[in-house]
Amino acid sequence: MLIPRRVKHRKQHRPDRSGAAKGGTKVVFGEYGIQALEHHYVTNRQIEAARIAMTRHIRRGGKVWINIYPDRPLTKKPAETRMGSGKGSPEWWIANVKPGRVMFELSGVAEPVAREALRRAMHKLPMKCRFVKREVGEA
Amino acid sequence: MSEVRIAAEPRSEFGKGAARKIRRTDKVPAVLYGHGTETKHLILPGHELLLALRTPNVLIRLQGDGVDELALPKGVQRDPIKGFLEHVDLLLVKRGEKVTVEIPVTTVGDIAPGGLFDQQLVSVSVETEATHIPEGVEVDIEGLEVGAVVTAADLKLPKGTTLAAEPETVVLQVIAVPTAAGAEGAEEAEGGEGATAAE
Repeated sequence: MLIPRRVKHRKQHRPDRSGAAKGGTKVVFGEYGIQALEHHYVTNRQIEAARIAMTRHIRRGGKVWINIYPDRPLTKKPAETRMGSGKGSPEWWIANVKPGRVMFELSGVAEPVAREALRRAMHKLPMKCRFVKREVGEA
Repeated sequence: MSEVRIAAEPRSEFGKGAARKIRRTDKVPAVLYGHGTETKHLILPGHELLLALRTPNVLIRLQGDGVDELALPKGVQRDPIKGFLEHVDLLLVKRGEKVTVEIPVTTVGDIAPGGLFDQQLVSVSVETEATHIPEGVEVDIEGLEVGAVVTAADLKLPKGTTLAAEPETVVLQVIAVPTAAGAEGAEEAEGGEGATAAE
């Protein structure tokens, strides 16, 4: 599972959820991709589940790129705890994904196989997504 | 490549408020510059421009109030979800002038079975005449075996077009498909890499 090796601050504020993706909105490495249509925090478990769903479907052949990285910690206070006494302990690692972001890319397989593989991966992700193809030559 | 005629109006109001007002009327704010001339701010029709920009490196003839210029799209800003045009940068060109542009690389045929096709470069930088920009360059990959590499120098460019990229840049290659056992081991070990081979 993806997890940062070392972080500057163990506990951070929750990332900003406004706006759309500034970059990474096009398929650049592979031929097909999954684009986020909504904002959501995507955990490292969800990323791993999507990757496994995809690679299990395409079996041999094909190459997968993961364009997001869960570099932000989210904390949680234990259940039935009174408020106060400091911030909770880190519980999840998340990637702050904004609308438009291409999260996964795939190449080396036929389009129907890629569509099905990415559809399966989309079911593992928390937000609405769509299948996108690389645009050849479009400005 | 033939040129596309687009009606252009001069733009005198700037900033996000004015730009949004223009976009609400299905038009696109644009800017035209090049050859050391003074930058011109324009308003272009949204739908016509969208259709024109479907062709890579389309040559646009801008006509309108005090404007009659040939231009190439240099930077296009789109909405990442809906895809409509937000702003366009146009570069002024002259007939017969040599320009450096990126043309798409497309493939024809199928590689030999047992290999994994890996296209590293989807467009290549070339120097060509502004009015005769090729639509793209085709690479025949029929029967390419594992280990085959096509570099930029191997591309068959149309007449009058020269390569502007490094000749040894890898355009595409055929790599071995990872074995089932090897891929499973890699999957367990990694999970953390940016790119992972499939099972």
